[in-house]
Amino acid sequence: MDPVRNPEDITNTAGSVDAARVVLSVDRISRSFGRLVAVRDLSFEAAPGEIIGLLGPNGAGKTTAIRVLSTILPPTRGSFTLGGIPHTRPGAIRQQIGVLPESAGYPLHMTGGEFLRYHARLFGHPARGAREVAASLLSEVGLAERASSPISTYSRGMRQRLGVARALVNAPKVIFLDEPTLGLDPAGQRQMLGLIREIAGHRGATVILSTHFLDEVEEVCSRVLILNRGEVIAEGSVADIKRRAAPRTARVHVPPESHDVALSALSQAEGVTSADSIDAERGWLTATFDSAWLDQRRKDGRNSAIRALTDAEVLILSFELEGGRLSDAFLSLTEEGQK
Amino acid sequence: MTSLSRSEPAPQSLAPATSGGWTVVAAQELRDLWLSARGPIIVLVFSLLLSLLTYLAATNKELNIIDQKDTVNLVMQITLGIGVAVSLLFSADAVSGERERETLESLLLTPVPRRQIALGKLLAAASIWPVMVVVAIPYVWALKGGASLFANAVVAGFVVGSLLTAAFGSLGLIVSIFSNSNRLSLALTFFVFVVLLAPTQLPLSGWFGDLIVKINPVTAGSSFLDNVVVKGHGWGQESALLLAPVLAAIIATSVAFLIAGRLRLQRGIDR
Repeated sequence: MDPVRNPEDITNTAGSVDAARVVLSVDRISRSFGRLVAVRDLSFEAAPGEIIGLLGPNGAGKTTAIRVLSTILPPTRGSFTLGGIPHTRPGAIRQQIGVLPESAGYPLHMTGGEFLRYHARLFGHPARGAREVAASLLSEVGLAERASSPISTYSRGMRQRLGVARALVNAPKVIFLDEPTLGLDPAGQRQMLGLIREIAGHRGATVILSTHFLDEVEEVCSRVLILNRGEVIAEGSVADIKRRAAPRTARVHVPPESHDVALSALSQAEGVTSADSIDAERGWLTATFDSAWLDQRRKDGRNSAIRALTDAEVLILSFELEGGRLSDAFLSLTEEGQK
Repeated sequence: MTSLSRSEPAPQSLAPATSGGWTVVAAQELRDLWLSARGPIIVLVFSLLLSLLTYLAATNKELNIIDQKDTVNLVMQITLGIGVAVSLLFSADAVSGERERETLESLLLTPVPRRQIALGKLLAAASIWPVMVVVAIPYVWALKGGASLFANAVVAGFVVGSLLTAAFGSLGLIVSIFSNSNRLSLALTFFVFVVLLAPTQLPLSGWFGDLIVKINPVTAGSSFLDNVVVKGHGWGQESALLLAPVLAAIIATSVAFLIAGRLRLQRGIDR
């Protein structure tokens, strides 16, 4: 069994990929539909075992980007190579990729086993090999017991797992998953995330994961591309992206009788540009930090506010940093993009 | 919890599915058609229709006012009409149906060239026609028109039907490639077939009537069958009537395979 790779081993600190290990290299691809530019100048590289999150609001171009990279749509401009194969050889690229499309339909009259055997045959497996691959994959995605059941009897989660199994019939180098957890219950989501980790970890395949669920990205992705209106507006490791939306504001809760003292202490605290009262009767305040000062003292900058409060002998009931999550970064970046 | 601990064979070890992909598609489509209820039910309904017609023609002397040759011709003409129409409808469903069921993308994501996907689907749709002929053979034989009439009717019917199946199956495929809606695809192709079939029931005469009969592949094929089976004309004598079905088959299949190579997920083709 291959060891599970640590994504940090693959990408360097800047979030780019070692040239020798690049499996997918995308160079300024664009895709237009008439006058609408769905994807503009998308560039990135990916290494084996990486899980790259493709984020963006509805209509950002995520599905179009996946369709271009999976050769369903030709790019209007730009180029990409996958496993060294140029995009001008779509048949050869399809032999190297697996895709779970966003709106994957299934022939409901077929059984899960028949469906996988059929797709294995389409990828060139001989009849016997196709049977073995189908049985093995059904077992691996937890559907072995339902192999002979018609797909029409499968739940949404089971169909998604079957779709992942279908995407693996050719042992792909790169697998594209477009909203794989959409419509799944929490248990199904967890199971799918486990599968994604296994695909990247044990198979060493690169996973391009398009999703709306940011906590999933935080959980499994080593790198993130945020798209807005067809353009990449941010790229880097999850930590990098989060850092961009580093919290500038702290929400402080103190006993109501200490509100005024706390307000005064916070306004004089080092690095704090302003302190404001939210609800004096309940003891809620905010402190806003100076961005430049925070950048200089990245590790303990916000502690100055806590020190100021303790020096003033104010009891701190809660001290919560606003922002700092991937969702905050996502919202702030995409809202900026909208402006 | 699921576990993906075992790796599949490396993709390089797979034989490219680019050469025989059409056989895999065709085999699956044939299974879907003939092992599901669709194909057998159509054949059952068709054989019931022929049973009724043959029974009336063979036993009811009062109603049996048409000549035996005409009855054999009628059976073959009905087989031709129904066989071609059903093949047409199945091929019209080939791409637009997959689009509507959202299963086309998975198929396009395989390394099988689009042209081979189309070929596999077209062959499966066309499989209706030879099955219809096989079903019709005992009925034609039961009409006891003699060995020569039997052979002439079956062979001429099979040739004309095969040409028309190729032409209309390809037409169905072309419309299907350009349509996102299965209903539209089915309705449009069936409408075209009915429009071309209608003149066979009209009293066409004069040079204009002759022209319509000869340029319309359906009327030309029907007239060829009529002249060979009923009038006993030789194939060479009536070869001009095969021109339209042959040209229609060549043109429609060529266009279908030309555009099938650029088949895309949404309606239409890549330019």
